[in-house]
Amino acid sequence: MFLPESMSRIVIVGANSCIDETIEALYDLECIHLIDHTVDADEGFTLGTPRPYSPKTAERLLKVRAMEKDLGINKHTKTQPISESEIRSQISSDSVESVEADVKAMADRRNDLNQRITELNAKKKNLELLARLPIDLDMYAGYKSIASIVGTVEKDPTEALGDLGESFVSMDKKLGNVVAVFVKNDDKTKAQNVLSECGFTEIPVPEGSGSVATALNKVEVQLADAYRDEEVVKKEMEVLFEKHKHFLRATDEELTVDSEKGTLPVRIASTKYSFVIDAWVPTPEAETVKSALESKVPSICVEIEENRSRKQAESDAQEDRFKVVPTKMKHGKVTQLFEYPTKMMSIPKYNEVDPTVLISIFLPLFFGFMVGDCGYAIPFIILGAYGLKFAKNPDWRAIATVLFFGGIWAFIFGFFFFGEALGMHFVGEYETGAVTYTWAGLLGLDHLHEFFETFLINGHGVGKIDPEFVGMLLRLSVYVGIVHLFIGYVVAIYNKTVQHGFKHGFLEKGGPFLIFVGVVVVGYAFGWALIMDQYSIGEMFTVTNVLVEMIIGIVLIVAGAVLVAKSEGAMSILIETVDAFGNILSYTRLVAIGMSKAGMALAFNYIALGMIAGVNPDPAQAGEISIIMAILGLLIFAFLHLMIWTLAILSGGLHALRLQLVEFMIKFYEGEGTEFSPLKFKHIKTISDKKINEA
Amino acid sequence: MVDTAIGFIAIGAGLAVGLAGLGTGLAQKDIGAAAVGAITEDSKMLGKALMFMVLPETIVIFGLVIAILACFVLPGMGN
Repeated sequence: MFLPESMSRIVIVGANSCIDETIEALYDLECIHLIDHTVDADEGFTLGTPRPYSPKTAERLLKVRAMEKDLGINKHTKTQPISESEIRSQISSDSVESVEADVKAMADRRNDLNQRITELNAKKKNLELLARLPIDLDMYAGYKSIASIVGTVEKDPTEALGDLGESFVSMDKKLGNVVAVFVKNDDKTKAQNVLSECGFTEIPVPEGSGSVATALNKVEVQLADAYRDEEVVKKEMEVLFEKHKHFLRATDEELTVDSEKGTLPVRIASTKYSFVIDAWVPTPEAETVKSALESKVPSICVEIEENRSRKQAESDAQEDRFKVVPTKMKHGKVTQLFEYPTKMMSIPKYNEVDPTVLISIFLPLFFGFMVGDCGYAIPFIILGAYGLKFAKNPDWRAIATVLFFGGIWAFIFGFFFFGEALGMHFVGEYETGAVTYTWAGLLGLDHLHEFFETFLINGHGVGKIDPEFVGMLLRLSVYVGIVHLFIGYVVAIYNKTVQHGFKHGFLEKGGPFLIFVGVVVVGYAFGWALIMDQYSIGEMFTVTNVLVEMIIGIVLIVAGAVLVAKSEGAMSILIETVDAFGNILSYTRLVAIGMSKAGMALAFNYIALGMIAGVNPDPAQAGEISIIMAILGLLIFAFLHLMIWTLAILSGGLHALRLQLVEFMIKFYEGEGTEFSPLKFKHIKTISDKKINEA
Repeated sequence: MVDTAIGFIAIGAGLAVGLAGLGTGLAQKDIGAAAVGAITEDSKMLGKALMFMVLPETIVIFGLVIAILACFVLPGMGN
């Protein structure tokens, strides 16, 4: 549960004639992590070449992807899965090619039309400009000694041109300024220079004769035709989309598998006549894999090379390509949901504790404690359950996981410990001068306290910003921190013990652990002696006892310091000591964040209920309440609490996560492992033959 | 006359949270800028960036703890 699955290395040897069956068998087993062959690792072996069917598959895949792009089919398109054997027979009977002929013809037609529409639009725009000048189209060109210059300008060039030639100008701020200038051929450059100072841009004059308006009409008719054609093509494309989407998606998937299988030989060692595959399989399945492979492909030989232990020295002694063992995290249905935060840091190494289980315990617990309110917990649980049922995106699923399990804890804490919902206690006596709304008081439930008094502390539960509980809550959070960190330090020693043996483990990670325990003991004695002595001087905290505890603590710190100095250098002593102290105090955020939310809730309740709705906190002095103000108050109440609720996701979730990733995991987690990724294929758009046979 | 000691405690508590908050802000300013840069280059960095981002928040929590102690525990000690 804590260490990743143990792994065995297998070697598969066979003749090249049976490589296709072997590849099929490897994919069917779904638990074989291939080790890539490195060139020149073994004498006489080279990398294999792709299977003969590979180029054809790649070509077809390219065609299918191009068609999908043309038709707008993507992975979100809903299609019916097709059985593998059917899609195979369709592919081999050249269905891809015949569909391509259909789709390509239509796509080409659409592209041509699009181009034509763009051209016509440009022409139309020019004609619209020219229509404002009193010149027919055939009068723009065809002169021997006169040149025409037509275009748009930013400011009127009439004055600047002077008597250089004849000019026609139409100025319009909205539609643009258009100018046509007719000059002698010799003056053309001069005119162009003048015009360019006025911000001139030339426009092409369409060929033709007659008035511009007629030409414009003609273009508009052509454009309308083109648009009509485009509609038709669009409809036909839609027909093609509906007709081929199932086939294309399924073919895409099938060809992707085939092309992956076809290029697999490139990753393994081969000679002229034979191949050798190195792979990792989970140790519990190694024997089954061996017999399954040998029964499926009788002519190959499978050998279990080694069962890799967790000792680092054993891995270090291996060849480079066998040094890194893939990590297969093994988890149940619930803990699996918490793999996300672990992976966010890194994949655990083969020989270290996978912190997922510990995270799955503490992350929701901390989140729940920080929220600690039934009123916020219930929406969290509902939202989380909804997300877990429907969300597919891993990010959303991770958030939903924390919300659901954290919400459950928040409800438990809110109900049994804090006795609160939406920042108000369920029951409690009214205190003069304080804003203490209770649900019992608001709803007039006089007998509610009989139920809650049976289990709530002080009869009304722990108040988050109640002076009588603040000290207790702070101490509680520190104790939680000590337990959490203690686990972290122990796991650190355990990790090194697994990798190098206990002696090495203790020498390397024992120092920080002893310093931590020492700091805890000293802090405990110190804290009771200095800060808390007013409240409880018991037998344990007489002056001599405090002195003895201090001495024990200091001895532990010194012993730890010696170990740390040996393993990491003298500078680390200071860092480790400050770290231990700082990390413990860091857990006070559990209370601090809860308090900040309770403080906001208190203020908001007073604003909505007291100031707007006019409810007196003291049930004994309840007066008349106007209905309109009560509704307004309730609306504002809901809005303000929604704000706190949203903030609770952010601050509660982030800080609960941070305590895991920073304070806790830094103690022991190294990560940077390789994830176990077996050869397999997920059928989404195709139905595997195996499944059909089973059904 | 109001007890001046309580007033001083309140000022102290305010300073503890306020100054610690400033410190956190100064630290987060640089980390935030770097984190946004890193995430823009590689969105997979989000997790790590987020973790670095909340690191300095411990400082303000310490300030808050001191303020809480000042507000709730110190007045009790005088009695």
